[in-house]
Amino acid sequence: MQKFLAILVTFGLSAPALAADSLKLAITGPFSGGSAPMGVSMRDGAKLAINEINSKGGITVGKAKLKIEVIERDDEAKNERGALIAQELASMPDISGVIGSVNTGVVMAGDRHLEEKGITKIITPAAGSASMTQWVGKAQDLPIFRFAAHDGIQASMVVEEAIKRNFKKVAIFHDATNYGVSGRDDLMNQIKKQGDKLQVVATEKFNIGDKDMTAQLLRAKQGGAEAILIWAIGPELAAVANGKAKMGLQAPLIGGWTLSMSNFIDNAGKNGNGALMPQTFIEDPITPKAKSFIEAYHKTYGVTRIPSAVSAAQGYDAVYLFAAAVKQAGSGDTKKIKAALEDLKEP
Amino acid sequence: MTLSIIAQMTVSGSLMGLVYALIAYGFQLTYATSKSVNFGQGELVMVSAFVSLTLITLGLPYWLVVLGGLFFGALLGLFVERAGVRLALEQRSEGWILLTIILGLLFFSVAENVWGRDDRPFPTPISQQPIHILAVDVTPVELSVAVGVFAIMGAIEIFKRQTLLGKAFDAVSADRDAGELMGISATQTVKLSYALSGVVAAVAGILVSPITTVGPTMASALVLKAFSVAVVAGLESGFGVVVVGMFLGALESIASFYLGSGWREAPGLVLLILALAIRPTGVFGKTLIRKV
Repeated sequence: MQKFLAILVTFGLSAPALAADSLKLAITGPFSGGSAPMGVSMRDGAKLAINEINSKGGITVGKAKLKIEVIERDDEAKNERGALIAQELASMPDISGVIGSVNTGVVMAGDRHLEEKGITKIITPAAGSASMTQWVGKAQDLPIFRFAAHDGIQASMVVEEAIKRNFKKVAIFHDATNYGVSGRDDLMNQIKKQGDKLQVVATEKFNIGDKDMTAQLLRAKQGGAEAILIWAIGPELAAVANGKAKMGLQAPLIGGWTLSMSNFIDNAGKNGNGALMPQTFIEDPITPKAKSFIEAYHKTYGVTRIPSAVSAAQGYDAVYLFAAAVKQAGSGDTKKIKAALEDLKEP
Repeated sequence: MTLSIIAQMTVSGSLMGLVYALIAYGFQLTYATSKSVNFGQGELVMVSAFVSLTLITLGLPYWLVVLGGLFFGALLGLFVERAGVRLALEQRSEGWILLTIILGLLFFSVAENVWGRDDRPFPTPISQQPIHILAVDVTPVELSVAVGVFAIMGAIEIFKRQTLLGKAFDAVSADRDAGELMGISATQTVKLSYALSGVVAAVAGILVSPITTVGPTMASALVLKAFSVAVVAGLESGFGVVVVGMFLGALESIASFYLGSGWREAPGLVLLILALAIRPTGVFGKTLIRKV
């Protein structure tokens, strides 16, 4: 009995010691389903950064070095899964931070639980405006940060592009998710803000999983749309591009960065050519840093193309941002990391 | 403009409707011989499509892919018959309802684990470039659906009418016990009907995949509509499912244009309820006289 107690005590004592030289970072996102190219790229990009940090011994905190321990959760792009995962993460006592979530709806469903516990989260690459605006007037000491070109910016660029190309009549297409609906609102606002130069001849929505967009496209065609401003993700974007080709509709797709997702490019094939979108990162070695990142990604995961390059780059950068905050905070405590993120000195 | 829109919606809708008809025809085949249907028919469509996709990625020529897909469909049909239907029928129980649903779920999980949850494009040698016929755009791929559906249904109908085995099929459909007395093995005939039903599912999968992409959930919407078609048309008439299938497809397209895409499914459901209320044996069904 005494021996047993002794073991218990040793374990009890050694547990905090173990925790002290590592910190827990959760990565959540859709690793399967229609949003998977973004989720998987984000995760793999983030893990690339984590491996780099860990192979150098970890993040320097005071005299010690903290290794990053990863907790991965697949939210399947489902809002209710996202909420469950956030609840689970929020109940972990020693979690340092969360990076992730691709889908605006998932962010909206889950982040409440993290916010209640004051757990630091960096949202990337979810871009729907609603994932941040939901907090307006609700939370005072928000531990949620976003690291993505949000839809407000993207929508303004999309509208600008349409005006620059001298389009007069446009159709707005969006999916029925929180991301699509918030994107539609951003587009409408931007059109108004930029002087009402575009006439919206049709506003069409569709559901995740819809393959046949004939009805929506015909209405756009009937209205004489010269361009389609679109807010959706890979598979449905591809369905719209394919339907457009079938109908011989020439209007180009102009939309968010989701138009670079691999499942849009693959499923639409040549029908996807001519789509326009703003990008924060392209898979092209234009700087030495980008070159080494792309090469490392290709080598580590044995691929020749990143499914969603923007997501991968943002996942990678988010981890380094997080690591810099940990270093500045001098601790793996999530509240101190939050304070550091708000007042980051370097890089 | 409006007329050409209606024409366009009717054509592309009814071509899609032929796929519902083909899946519904798969229900009819097994119902005729055994008074049972495979509730996992949609998963048969999906798994056969995935197997064909795998054959394509292996680099086989298209005709071999089609043959391979059909063969695999037949095997799956036989498996469903052996594992889910035969014992239940021997005991004259309704256990096949639950068993075929369970087998469908099993196929679904297998597909998710083997091929992943993503939708994938299905390459086809048939052109996707639209052709313009009388103000209506159709792609050769869509036309191939019509050709394929009529070819396979025609082949099976000829087989049923012209060959001895096919006559046995009809005999068991008409009266299982009398057929047995005439020396026709009902079990063998039921087996055959499930194999054929599997082939039909595979054809549906191969035909529809280039249009809808291949994914584990690809058939769930299709099969629901195929059920409506089978019930509305009646479970006896092959001609009936074609007519009702095309009608339903066209109606869906037109509804989604004029009422909004959210209402796409509504006409099918209304039709189903009406049919069940007014003609429970189906529009083309024979009134059943049950002698007691």
